[in-house]
Amino acid sequence: MDLTPDTEQLALLTATADWCRDNMPLDQARARPAGLWAELDAMGWTAMTAPDMGLTHATEALVFAELGRHLAPVGLIATAVAARWSEHPGKTALALLDSHVAGGRVRVYDPVGADRALGLAGHLVATTPLPSDLGGAPGLDPSAPLAHLDPAPPFTALGDPRAGLHLQLLTAAFAVGCADAARDMAADYAKVREQFDRPIGWFQALKHICADMAVRSAVARSQLYYAAAALDAGDAEAAFHAAAAMRLADQAAIENGRANIQVHGGIGMTDEAYPHLCLKRAHLLSFVAPARRDIILGEAA
Amino acid sequence: MDIRFSPEEQHFRAECRDWLHDNVTGQRRPMDAAAAIDFDKAWQRRLFDAGWAGINWPKEYGGRGLSIVQQVIWLEEYARAHAPWIGANFVGINHGGPTLILNASEAQKEYHLPRILRGEAIWCQGFSEPGAGSDLAGIRTHARIEGNELVVNGTKIWTSFAHVADWQELVVRTEEGSQRHKGLSWVICPMHAPGIEVRPIRKMSGQVEFAQVFYDDVRVPLDNVVGGLGNGWKVAMSTLSFERGTGFIADQVKQSQEVEELLERARSSGAIKDERIAEQLIQLRAEVAALRAMTYRNISEVVRTGQPGPEASVIRLFASELGQRLERMALLLAGEEVLDFRYGDDDLVADYLRGFAATIAGGTAQIQRDIIAERLLGLPKSR
Repeated sequence: MDLTPDTEQLALLTATADWCRDNMPLDQARARPAGLWAELDAMGWTAMTAPDMGLTHATEALVFAELGRHLAPVGLIATAVAARWSEHPGKTALALLDSHVAGGRVRVYDPVGADRALGLAGHLVATTPLPSDLGGAPGLDPSAPLAHLDPAPPFTALGDPRAGLHLQLLTAAFAVGCADAARDMAADYAKVREQFDRPIGWFQALKHICADMAVRSAVARSQLYYAAAALDAGDAEAAFHAAAAMRLADQAAIENGRANIQVHGGIGMTDEAYPHLCLKRAHLLSFVAPARRDIILGEAA
Repeated sequence: MDIRFSPEEQHFRAECRDWLHDNVTGQRRPMDAAAAIDFDKAWQRRLFDAGWAGINWPKEYGGRGLSIVQQVIWLEEYARAHAPWIGANFVGINHGGPTLILNASEAQKEYHLPRILRGEAIWCQGFSEPGAGSDLAGIRTHARIEGNELVVNGTKIWTSFAHVADWQELVVRTEEGSQRHKGLSWVICPMHAPGIEVRPIRKMSGQVEFAQVFYDDVRVPLDNVVGGLGNGWKVAMSTLSFERGTGFIADQVKQSQEVEELLERARSSGAIKDERIAEQLIQLRAEVAALRAMTYRNISEVVRTGQPGPEASVIRLFASELGQRLERMALLLAGEEVLDFRYGDDDLVADYLRGFAATIAGGTAQIQRDIIAERLLGLPKSR
């Protein structure tokens, strides 16, 4: 039993963090350069989950939490799942299928340059080819180009339910990273912003908001690690642990996102500042692979 | 990362399970205080004789010298078997003993540790005072040095098991005029010494489980100072991270059993159809799972680096508040029946009322949040 990263994983984590900081900083999330995806491809982030790479889910979870912390393109999640489970690897847009009804409208993220879209329908991953002229424009989350398929073409389910758990795990990892980003942004601001002649982080009222952010992050990250290791071990409860991880990660990302804005005060409400980027990303992630209640309650058929 | 236990660890788990299966036979800890102590001592002696006391304590002092992972496995199986609460041995086993292992002299360890493990010596804690709660450095109970003795005067409060304890981990001011964290000493105080008076305090749950202790010229040998005169703060803090990290594993297994029981109760009564109740149970089930994950992470950190990570304080806070949410949920599902509670009942209402201790004793939830903000996030110290 070991739920801490080993030396190799830590090295990969540091390399990921360094690259993200230099090439994909959070403060540029609203306008990513057109060539970013090609760089992600070149660095190997888009194909790291392919079966021949032999990475464990635990390692993926660590790396995706780091990518999520920098508000990396959400298309990475769909692309990673496609790389492992579909016969069509390569850039894949992320589709929101949870409440999709046949013939209705489907939202897809990061569609530019993607041949297909992929999303979670029930407990199975489903994909569809995309028209090549599908542009994308920001919706609520300014860092995620959005297009609508209206009416949506039929989606084809991939048979293996493990693909659905994989998608949920990576989404939870992105949300854990997003929650961490908000926590750190709030703590950094509380150290430098002064009122009443001292840093606002001196006051218990602010400290306790920040401490609760740290608790939510730690809780979500721990369950993420357990879920990843449970998937790797083929544990019978893996679906429960992934759902619990998703639920706690969503809560951490949204609540930390909100608390971060509160800590920032007036500037936190502006378009110019960065806190809203984390909050908006958190809301988007909460629709990607939501935790099912029957699975958490152990009632799934 | 791997959630699986090694074959040796699985073998050890089976051994624990077998022994507990044969030896836990539905004994309940008696309600009567004197009978409860006899029960606690006898049970601890049985654990010791069978080799289940001090699993990760050093062999030379009566422990088994095994790993912290094996200690965790034992505690998990212990809770799973519904084995009795260790009761009055709690402070010695979970706090006094570990403090001595880290800080005490050979002579102190040789004398006290085996007695704690055999259930022969009951310990209590003497940290809080009427004027020193969250602000523990405000301790005023003092001891002057006369020859080779300390002469203690003052008072301590909220002392669990004071009325039955043989020894106390007592933090007193040994340097006259010293301020705050300086000039304090951690002392092994004999509770049967002349000049000690114990006044029991009844809790709002009806139980008399803690007390105020008064010291009137109580003489304690200087040899009973642990970790050196004036180092009391450091000694006291050395075990807090232990208490905040790994000291509550059995509680966590109990919490996961509780959430399953609550779920069962909500299903059979139909309360689960209430949207708000279902929502809370979903949350509790996910949180209990996460608490185990967090504990495993912390234990892994201890195995890897020798000490719990800074997130140990997060576990303590999260676990204590989660426990209270579970106790409230039990109350909610019980409905109006809770109004028939009377002092002397040892039921879910008593648990709910007693449960307030979780976010007060051993550092309030507010102090825990300060610690998390300052040590984990680096916010400026306010004190």
